[in-house]
Amino acid sequence: MKRYLTHPWLTIRVQLALGAIFVIAAIPKIADPPSFAHMIYNYRLVPASLINLSALVMPWVELLAGLALILGVWKKAARNLIGILLAVFIIAISINLFRDNAIDCGCFNVADRGKTHEQRIFDMKVDVVRDLGMLLMVAQLWWAGKREEDQL
Amino acid sequence: MAIFRAETAAEAVTPERWRLAGVPALFVHLLRFAKRCALLRRLTISMKQNTIFQAAAIVAAGIILALVANAFASRDRKVSLVGTYPNALKVPAREVPVAPPPVVPPVTQPVVTNTQPSTITAPPTATTSTQPTATAAIETVGINPKAKTPVAPAPVPTTTAAPPPPTREFNAHPDKPYIEIAYNDVKALHDKNVLFLDARRTSVYEQGHIPGARTYSVWESDIDDKVNKLFAERNDQAAQNLPIVIYCSGGDCEDSHMLAQKLWGIQFNNVYVYKDGFPDWQQHGAPVHTGANP
Repeated sequence: MKRYLTHPWLTIRVQLALGAIFVIAAIPKIADPPSFAHMIYNYRLVPASLINLSALVMPWVELLAGLALILGVWKKAARNLIGILLAVFIIAISINLFRDNAIDCGCFNVADRGKTHEQRIFDMKVDVVRDLGMLLMVAQLWWAGKREEDQL
Repeated sequence: MAIFRAETAAEAVTPERWRLAGVPALFVHLLRFAKRCALLRRLTISMKQNTIFQAAAIVAAGIILALVANAFASRDRKVSLVGTYPNALKVPAREVPVAPPPVVPPVTQPVVTNTQPSTITAPPTATTSTQPTATAAIETVGINPKAKTPVAPAPVPTTTAAPPPPTREFNAHPDKPYIEIAYNDVKALHDKNVLFLDARRTSVYEQGHIPGARTYSVWESDIDDKVNKLFAERNDQAAQNLPIVIYCSGGDCEDSHMLAQKLWGIQFNNVYVYKDGFPDWQQHGAPVHTGANP
């Protein structure tokens, strides 16, 4: 089982998929920073002075980390960055679920879609599960990388 | 560490040797410079294999690209590096939809103490049709501040077949950043050619807005310039006390409230927020203007 989970065939596909997801997620945010700033504001977790800066920088870090994974350059660093970003997203959404503050995640789409409170809460739960799934992909990459190092 | 020690030792000896051998001072300095470059190159190579350095490099590249992209972005896609959002950490109160109360038929009961039977109508169930907003500090009452100070939060019946007539007075209210108003008051102010500001994104504004409204998106970088321009337009006390109506998308949209607070901060004391926003304006069949011009 361990051999299959850390097999290079699986690892390369996970790496490409994770990279592609982050590149795709970054593009709408890069295209429209004001809307993404609004999304970050809705989380009510970031101090006012950092909202715009986060909205500008975070999508570019996502894009570069995703591209690094796809191209196989600085894989470990990109994997770690993506892991940190996913952990931050999961914590942020979970805090708002706990506070019953229904928000649009802003993960792949930064447009306000006019959902109801219940729809947003449901989507937030789905987002947490999805991000946990991606965190498992990061874990697979980490495990495969560690096994590769051990074999050398 | 070994690199540093070796380099320091070499640097201490070799230039001295060169100087003793009669090499001009310029060449000695060049030699020192070349050695430092070599040290830097070796450090760079070792750090390139360091994951933390690589991650920091990705973040640094992200910051540079973000700043460059923002510098070259179009006006409506640009954000100011530091925004001013007063309620950034304040969780808004949830707007709970109020279910309409059941229609209570008039209760007719005989009064025994009277010789003639009389009819007593049950008082209507009082529920507020206005729901709590994110800025709970701001009262949602009539638009005349003098009239509203002694009034307790009186419930408004939900069974409003005909909307109440608009209030006639739109006095300045320097004690409050804004007052939320409904369609009737908004329409009355629109008919009086009062200044309307659209706090939604410019792209949304261009798809349709209240005729005469100017675009003042709080999320775009030029908002402070626009506010300053408005201040320059209305630079005396009398002009600043003229009514201004701000709207966005209604519902949980707070952009109009944020803009109102900005205006209040620079002495605009007669600002009204159209609580239900542009969707409500459309629902009432009021005129809509499209395009970039007011």
